[in-house]
Amino acid sequence: MNVPLHGLLLAGGKSTRMGREKASLVVGDGGMTQAARGIGLLGRFCDQTYLSLRAGQAAPAGAEQAPVIRDSDEAQGPLAGILGAFREAPLAAWLILACDLPFVSEALLANLVARFREKPDAPFTAYASSRDGLPEPLCAIYGSSSLPILQRHAARGHFCPRHIMREENVPLFPLPPEDSGALKNLNTPEDLAGAVAAREIHLAWFGHLAERRGLREEIVRVKAGTADDLLREIEDRHRLGLDPKSVRVAINDEFVARDCRLHPGDRVAFLLPSTGG
Amino acid sequence: MTFQVAPHPIDPAPFRAELASRDCGGLVFFEGRVRDHHEGRTVTGLHYEAYRELAGKEGRRLVAEIAAKYGVRAAAIHAIGDLSPGDLAVWVGAAAPHREQAFAACRELIDAIKMQVPIWKRETYANGKSEWVEGCSCGVAQAPDRLVRP
Repeated sequence: MNVPLHGLLLAGGKSTRMGREKASLVVGDGGMTQAARGIGLLGRFCDQTYLSLRAGQAAPAGAEQAPVIRDSDEAQGPLAGILGAFREAPLAAWLILACDLPFVSEALLANLVARFREKPDAPFTAYASSRDGLPEPLCAIYGSSSLPILQRHAARGHFCPRHIMREENVPLFPLPPEDSGALKNLNTPEDLAGAVAAREIHLAWFGHLAERRGLREEIVRVKAGTADDLLREIEDRHRLGLDPKSVRVAINDEFVARDCRLHPGDRVAFLLPSTGG
Repeated sequence: MTFQVAPHPIDPAPFRAELASRDCGGLVFFEGRVRDHHEGRTVTGLHYEAYRELAGKEGRRLVAEIAAKYGVRAAAIHAIGDLSPGDLAVWVGAAAPHREQAFAACRELIDAIKMQVPIWKRETYANGKSEWVEGCSCGVAQAPDRLVRP
């Protein structure tokens, strides 16, 4: 039987550097708060999804419906949230996600969950940072066998999950190349401004689609993080008959997989089946 | 090995000359020409449009792949723009020491080009109306998306 996988969105941080609660920020044009986006992402992989909050903290905008787990008093920081999760369900594995990672994609989580399913007894399933190779503990899966390890460290006053993973020599998985920047977090208003600007995409249209759209080139501001999200978003806006089953995607004049991450200024084209010859 | 997308009219002569060599005893050429009918309707003209940057890359990739697979020399050229019935729309050539490989490579290359190179056609009919031809999505499954990101 599959080990149950629960999801926990960490939103209990104080957002001191941002000066505003990060979980309630809207990043991009989608109108979704970071908390709402995170809960939605986790819900695609987890049988139950919870919001992690400090004692007394109100739910962030957009996530008022999510069940709440309060921080454990055995630790501080994110570890308090993680131990709170195991207090709720000690035998489950927990997919832990920080709420201030606006570039995390569904594909990135799908890959992580696939790694976990290969070794569901492993205490930790985690990525290595693309910047310094260190563990990425706030987009990771904590198996039930991690609980005694976490408690042992917490009892000694070690509350930093990254240090714990390093000390435990946790094997790490590389980030997929297309998601190498996916675990950049937002700490300051400058980070936020950068993330919002990152949503400008150049669309190119050809053939039948150029005719239906009524133009050949346009620059759009979108919330989509991947080519697939963009396809759905554009289809919702314009009803061009973009069928994900038959449309191919090109970015910067190369065919790409549909879960390919979008970068600022990318030139994206959706292509109907070829009819040359 | 080469592939080109070029405005109508296309001239395959230089490609044909490039394929010929003393070690190749079999040269096979395919010409795709505009037909004057399609699904029971009289066709008076065809317009081809390409995503030129990607079509060039994808065509060159297919030529190289199929040439290597069959051990042949190969080339192809596809026209874009407005064509009339009888005009040359696509030309494919393969040269090999023996004819079997040349026939097989030529056949596979034209099939691959039709399915995978991003070119689309719009037909104009005798009644003056014109329509984009609907493609078959089977090419999508045949062309695994290659993830190429910097």
